[in-house]
Amino acid sequence: MIDYNLLAEALPQLIIAAGKTLAIAFLSASIGFIGGTIIALLQMSANKLLNALLMTYVTIIRGTPMLLQIMFMYIMLPQFGINISAFATAVLAIGLNSCAYISQVIRSGIKSVNKGQIEAAQALGIKKFDLIRHIILPQAFIVVIPVLLNELITLIKDSSLASLIGVIELYKRGEIIISYSHNALLIYLCIGLIYLILTTTLTLFVNVIENKINKYVGN
Amino acid sequence: MLEIKNLSKKFENKNSGPKIVLDNVSLTVDKGEIALLLGPSGVGKSTLLRILNNLESYDKGSLRLDGHSLEEYKRNNKHATGMIFQQFNLFEHMNVEKNITFALEKSAHKSHKEAHEIATQLLNKFGLASKAKLPINKLSGGQKQRLAIARSIALKPLVLCFDEPTSALDPYLKSFVAQNIQELADEKYIVLVATHDVSLIEKLSCKIFLMDEGKIIETSSSAEFLAHPDQYPLIRNFVKGINENIDTKI
Repeated sequence: MIDYNLLAEALPQLIIAAGKTLAIAFLSASIGFIGGTIIALLQMSANKLLNALLMTYVTIIRGTPMLLQIMFMYIMLPQFGINISAFATAVLAIGLNSCAYISQVIRSGIKSVNKGQIEAAQALGIKKFDLIRHIILPQAFIVVIPVLLNELITLIKDSSLASLIGVIELYKRGEIIISYSHNALLIYLCIGLIYLILTTTLTLFVNVIENKINKYVGN
Repeated sequence: MLEIKNLSKKFENKNSGPKIVLDNVSLTVDKGEIALLLGPSGVGKSTLLRILNNLESYDKGSLRLDGHSLEEYKRNNKHATGMIFQQFNLFEHMNVEKNITFALEKSAHKSHKEAHEIATQLLNKFGLASKAKLPINKLSGGQKQRLAIARSIALKPLVLCFDEPTSALDPYLKSFVAQNIQELADEKYIVLVATHDVSLIEKLSCKIFLMDEGKIIETSSSAEFLAHPDQYPLIRNFVKGINENIDTKI
């Protein structure tokens, strides 16, 4: 039997908490996108030491669980006198995790740009900044936009890990409701449904963007 | 006048050791002249053009333009040389007009209006005015090449370098491109053409520099060679070899 009273009480709370889930995902994705782009561009440099450092970062992040990274950040930041909220810690940890993944996606996009165009720009006397901004990145991003949007979908799901350091996002709010209602099945179903609506909507958006890109590239 | 003296360049290869790609190459080309760098692939023709366009460094020798070292000249006029690549290397995410205006705005610091005016003139000149807003992949091979030329001359270089300009074109377009190159020389550009296409000897009024293993092994002019081919046995043999190769393939 569905407890409609509980449903009526829980749903608004879960929907509000879903807003926080989205906030974590979008803010983390923004950090990941900016940081990932910077890492990808730095990896274009011929500096072997810099490349080795960046690859070490990417390897550590990709080789350890995000849960551990969030906990590590949660414990480590106060040791350095940095006292930020659990929400900010989660955004930072998930964002830095995303940086590593996104950097490699953007890097592959950069590598897909025809080297001849880069040489043509150099022969025309285009400065490096303009070359990166107007020639390399626009073409690299076109190739990787669907992958980047899929990363955002992953982040929406991963944001539930923020609950472990006390951030009251969708999953945590559900657990709180379960703790007093003792109707785990209904609440977990609601949580699952909300995640599904969020990710499916974004997936449909990704498909539209992907079709537009394919059309653009085809043209 | 472009003067290249004793230009040498070697590539370091970890496996096979250093490879000399240019070995004491010297040549001069005056304004309004075409230098045809003739030879098979891998003899250093393209490397020479790439050096002139700052896409490669060189080990020794001197490059002078109008009596000044090329480096010094480029400090005051960085657009002294222009390059039209074999694959054109147009900016594929920009439309036809933007391919010209981009360098004018970002490299020559022209205003958007000035850049647009220059681009419009050049697109008219090269018969591309109606294509201005089209994406690059809507152009034919010949149109792409004309756009590449327009993009290059928009910056008013003194020297124009063509890397294998006719390699991907059919015979009709080859003649058309040759005509374009000749017209650019007539407009007093210093033109260098790296090619293995011997048909250009007949189509262009040019100096011929036959290259092999990084060296210039014989020089002539197209008129002189066509009148007395036997006096230039290496060029004659190269032309004969290429033509026989074409006949065999046909």
